[in-house]
Amino acid sequence: MQLYSPMSTTPKRQAFRAPALAGLEGTRIGILENNKLNAEEMLREVAALFTERHGCSVRMLRSKANASAPAPANTLVDLAQDVDFLITGLGD
Amino acid sequence: MAAVSPRIHEVPDDLFAAMDFCYEQGWTDGLPVVPPQVDRVKAMLAADQRPAETVVARHPATELELSLHAAAVNAVMAGCLPEYFPVLVAAFEAMDRPDFNFHGSTASTGGSAPLLIVSGPCADEIGMNADVNLFGPGNRANATIGRAVRLILRNVFQMLPGISDKSTQGNPGKYSFCIAERSRGNPWPLLCEAQGYAKGASSVTVFAGGGFCNVENHGGNTPEQILASVADAMANYGCITLGQSVVILAPEHMRILADAAWTRERAQAFLFTHARRPADGMKGVGKYRDSEYDKQHGGNAHGLVEPGFVHRGLRPDDILITMGGGDAGGHSCFIPSWSRGRGSLIQHAAIIVRSDSQQT
Repeated sequence: MQLYSPMSTTPKRQAFRAPALAGLEGTRIGILENNKLNAEEMLREVAALFTERHGCSVRMLRSKANASAPAPANTLVDLAQDVDFLITGLGD
Repeated sequence: MAAVSPRIHEVPDDLFAAMDFCYEQGWTDGLPVVPPQVDRVKAMLAADQRPAETVVARHPATELELSLHAAAVNAVMAGCLPEYFPVLVAAFEAMDRPDFNFHGSTASTGGSAPLLIVSGPCADEIGMNADVNLFGPGNRANATIGRAVRLILRNVFQMLPGISDKSTQGNPGKYSFCIAERSRGNPWPLLCEAQGYAKGASSVTVFAGGGFCNVENHGGNTPEQILASVADAMANYGCITLGQSVVILAPEHMRILADAAWTRERAQAFLFTHARRPADGMKGVGKYRDSEYDKQHGGNAHGLVEPGFVHRGLRPDDILITMGGGDAGGHSCFIPSWSRGRGSLIQHAAIIVRSDSQQT
């Protein structure tokens, strides 16, 4: 008996990790919050720890209008140009 | 991205072994599936004359695509007949729209399930149930079309429980959640007509439903009494959000509205007005948010919004109302939207038969 696979025939997307930062000292942080109840507060607290321990600076806060949809590509492009790393999370 | 050819598995020529093989591959919703034999899939695909690689929907996060072929494989596994296939395809065409946000609504802890409401002549033509035991069980078309939606979400889009589908408690509708709108005795324009489709056309409406709330009222004899019961269910503290609503009125309840010449629009306005909670009460249970209140009461506020209250939804037409169920019983239902807000909005699409027979 021959059975078709029910899976998608889309080729698996190639995803790559960003290269690790050489160090955290003095780096610029971006925050991407998702508009959930405690997201901004939680992410700012996390960023404050980086600032305190590694002298990082918070350069940019961006918000998603819809927590469950992917961030718009232009949001990520803008952030990537101005920060060294990004902090994001759910914040419920 | 170019698709690869659908994979074929050789399995022993034994039905039960093939069913076990499907379990071993992780292709089921927990219930046995019909093994997707090649000839059955080809028969399903004959219900749509477009090329099998035609893309019907695309996952916004993973970019996985649903082709007609993959839809047909999962439809076979769910137990669908080929004549059901256009409904399934139309449902995913509707869910593919960004405002439906099917990734979020199927991945979320909220645990919603896509509710399908089939409206128009297609429902009778393929033998759907709009009558007694509306939400099941017992009707093949209702049960298997809804089940095929789930299998596609699982197998094609990889919305896997515990991995990419993080529903806290899930929802019985995640097995199957598909009904037909009752046309017999329905005093209002059918949904497909209200949605603007041509006479004789059918539609499927999709809604990320967060559960099922029975609304019992055997004593009310006026539209206000019946709809006040519904409004109370819509505004309970566990359910009230700015999200949309689906209300399926039982024929007994609908008759009370029809006898008093209430239109759909009047019923929507009544429900929107009364499905509300005081802002202080919302604060008392920890659900009040300034931003949500401002969104409802700001510059674009609907005229029925009352200061100091949080209503369900943003306006009366956020409440989809139609009729379904058996003749006996004062049991209507309210189906809340997914989660807390407006992350998924109701969509609809025409059901188009693209086989050799006529267009529906």
